[in-house]
Amino acid sequence: MNVTFTVNGETLSLDVPPSTTLLDLLRDRLGLHGTKEYCHSGVCGACTVLADGKAVSSCSMLAGQVEGADVLTIEGLTPDEGLHPIQQAFVDNFGLQCGYCTPGMILLAKALLDENPAPTREEIIRYMGGNICRCTGYAGILRSVEAAVRERGSWS
Amino acid sequence: MCAATSPNVTRLVGQSMPSLEAPDKAAGRIEYMADLTVPNMAHAKVVRSPLPHARILSIDASEARAMPGVVCVLTRDEVRADPEMEEVYGFVYRDAPLVAMDKVRHEGDIVAVVVADDVDTAEAAAELVDVEYEELPAVMNVPQALADGAVQVHEEFFPIAPELRPIEGTNVCHHATIGCGDVEQGFAESDFVYEDEFLAPPVQHCALDLHAVISQIEDGQITVWTNCQSPFPLGRELERIFKMPARVIIPYVGGGFGSKSRDRIECVITAAAKLAGRPVRYILTQEETFMTFIRPAYRNRMRTGVKKDGTIVARHNEFWVDVGGYAISGARSANNTLKVATGPYRIPNARVDCYAVYTNKPPSSPYRGLPTTQHTMSYEAQFDRIARDLGIDRLELRRRNLVRDGDIHITGDYLRSAHSHECLEQATEAIGWDEPLPVDPDGKKLRGRGVSCTIKYTLTPAREMSENSAEVALVEDGVFEVRIGTVNIGQGSDTVMAQIAGDALGVGLESVRIVHSDTYRVPVDSSTTASRSTYHMGRAVVEATDNLKPQMLEAASQLLEREAASLVFTPEGIAQADGSANVTYGELVERVGAPLAATGDCVVGGMYAGPDGKSYPIASTFWTFASCAAEVEVDTETGTVRVVKAAASATTGTAVNPHSIETQLEGGIGQEIGPTLFEQLVWDDGGQLINAALLDYPLPTMETMPEYAPRFVDHPFEGGPFGAKGMGEIGSVVVPGAVVNAVYDATGVLFHEIPLTPHKIIEGLEGQA
Repeated sequence: MNVTFTVNGETLSLDVPPSTTLLDLLRDRLGLHGTKEYCHSGVCGACTVLADGKAVSSCSMLAGQVEGADVLTIEGLTPDEGLHPIQQAFVDNFGLQCGYCTPGMILLAKALLDENPAPTREEIIRYMGGNICRCTGYAGILRSVEAAVRERGSWS
Repeated sequence: MCAATSPNVTRLVGQSMPSLEAPDKAAGRIEYMADLTVPNMAHAKVVRSPLPHARILSIDASEARAMPGVVCVLTRDEVRADPEMEEVYGFVYRDAPLVAMDKVRHEGDIVAVVVADDVDTAEAAAELVDVEYEELPAVMNVPQALADGAVQVHEEFFPIAPELRPIEGTNVCHHATIGCGDVEQGFAESDFVYEDEFLAPPVQHCALDLHAVISQIEDGQITVWTNCQSPFPLGRELERIFKMPARVIIPYVGGGFGSKSRDRIECVITAAAKLAGRPVRYILTQEETFMTFIRPAYRNRMRTGVKKDGTIVARHNEFWVDVGGYAISGARSANNTLKVATGPYRIPNARVDCYAVYTNKPPSSPYRGLPTTQHTMSYEAQFDRIARDLGIDRLELRRRNLVRDGDIHITGDYLRSAHSHECLEQATEAIGWDEPLPVDPDGKKLRGRGVSCTIKYTLTPAREMSENSAEVALVEDGVFEVRIGTVNIGQGSDTVMAQIAGDALGVGLESVRIVHSDTYRVPVDSSTTASRSTYHMGRAVVEATDNLKPQMLEAASQLLEREAASLVFTPEGIAQADGSANVTYGELVERVGAPLAATGDCVVGGMYAGPDGKSYPIASTFWTFASCAAEVEVDTETGTVRVVKAAASATTGTAVNPHSIETQLEGGIGQEIGPTLFEQLVWDDGGQLINAALLDYPLPTMETMPEYAPRFVDHPFEGGPFGAKGMGEIGSVVVPGAVVNAVYDATGVLFHEIPLTPHKIIEGLEGQA
């Protein structure tokens, strides 16, 4: 089947087998390895990307479901030089250790801040509670998101 | 240290800094195993046993082999037909066949490997492999495995590590004891004797970076890429099995927590690559990782004799570790437990009996400080029972018994940097131990606080030997390349080594480059396990710089035509002390025309010369002490336990990267909340694991996160690099004990088994009423 969608600002039209997941499409077909796989059942959030601004588990979406959609992966969030302010907040606040959950966490935080520029701590915890991190105990991630919220006003 | 070293001004050690690779990780640019490919690579899928214990009658892979796109199928027949291939591997027990030979010993045991041009074909072909089994009785837990007439999981024992002592004719693959004083006499002299039995069920590590391997054989040379934490032992094992040189390369690893501490899939995939005549990649699914290594079930029976004032007189620990179908790794973990089972307390009369038992579960591996975690829970929970029974304050009971510097541990070790009292005070103060607990106006939610203390070992050889080396080289661009076997698994090892190397050389971070874990590019290392790297690799790095400095001085002396003794090191290069001549590091290496390199070894083991003039054995190169204090809220209607606050304090020696230590402690606490409150692997009566999918296996999330208070006691540790010692696992070790005791404080019910599920809590509360 053919699917036409936008990835990180580039519109693509691809022929894919109907059973292809968005995750496989991104990783295997497009070589966008920043999107990670673990549970392959939509639970862990390592494969989180944004589709039309919404955080989705790319392992649980078929490629056909993103027809016409605008998909953002960690590669698209990262500027040519330096880091996006949310990424920088994760670095500065020790919001990562092994780094495997990090692209998904950062994109989830991006979706949150786009939806709600000034979330409370409770709102952050509820929103970010869907993604699994095994290293940090989440404290560094919470500090990172809170720092990104504080600095939200200074983003370009 | 070299005479000409610049004054020992610490510039990097002691500074909090994000990991060197953090920006690349935040950008998603770091490549993990699943991101790697090699040219002409084929893909493997594994045929796994659906039964926990069975004899293999026949394997018919003809249909699979005939499928278009299939390269080959590896079964026991191909392994047996290859005279150049050993059949069995194992790190401490050589009991695991590459693929099942006569029997399968756990659900998920590897029966065949299908190699195809793509993953989908391999998966489809694996479905076509027809295996005929004769089901055997399975022993799914320790009581079943120890019962009279129980089926033997292994008919013969093949221990490699010299300390392992199987009991022939049983499923006990290791029985060991340790003791001091006279334990029966001690019980006779006690005013009270308490006996308890504690259980901790198996869980899985759930490192998000799936276990994966690529194996390639070219021109009689094996190259393996894998996310295993022990590249050098793996390389030696590959060379033994395949009788050809082997190189092991480890990329960045996305967590392991012990599940990747030893090899498990690397040898069989190398056998498949040999048969295929092509490189083969194999990535496990999340469900398959649950069949690969698990944290074992633990049963711990403890008798403790005390005086009326709470002084411990005697303790007898008997514990049983379920090592699963293969003891490749688990038997050694069980043995190490002897060193910590009695805890950080002065006990004049003690005996520990350890039994490692084969069952038909997946093989066991360490898990972030296992097995210290389970023992700490046991002796700390019993301690609170004793405190309550004797009417002694819980902290006071611990203060009366905790070890101090100069005490002799049950292993015979002379304890140094034993700041166990400081850890206890720090942790309890951090959660506001003496402040009144909030009271629920409805009386439905109960609050309580609990504490636990521990002592933990690191991996230590039985005799004096080098455990690892490091190489430091001044290379073309004037940068110091630090070549280390330590696997970067997210613990921040590259950063810590760069801080240590930078200070040892007196240069900035920009002048240091870390090269890690490629067995052909770095010197030998035993493993990245047991919180050992900061101390051991750090020491080797310092020694390598010490060995490099005379070489650099000699070269500079010739170039500058100055006496070597008149030269000093500066951050930029080497200079005449009066400033009359200098050479930058870049110029030095350029003028010499080749890199200058030196290695350093970390020699440990042997005997410790005590300040009293006596010699003491060294069962652990360093001991880590820690305490956790936790506050919980128990919902008496739903049975839910919430950890509200959790503080951990640990003896870290010099804190090389203080904020990194704090985040390691937070991570350890947060992870261990899962096994303490809700994680547990469950098998049905047929020996099938029923919750191997993450959908059925809840993990801690941001919503279960307590308020953390990480603390550390950073008195420099004599012998450590800049006074540092390891701490990567200690945060998790102390959690279950503190939480069980906090629930005891809140409810009056002492639970003897984790996880503290709502069902157990409600049952416990009903039993009390």
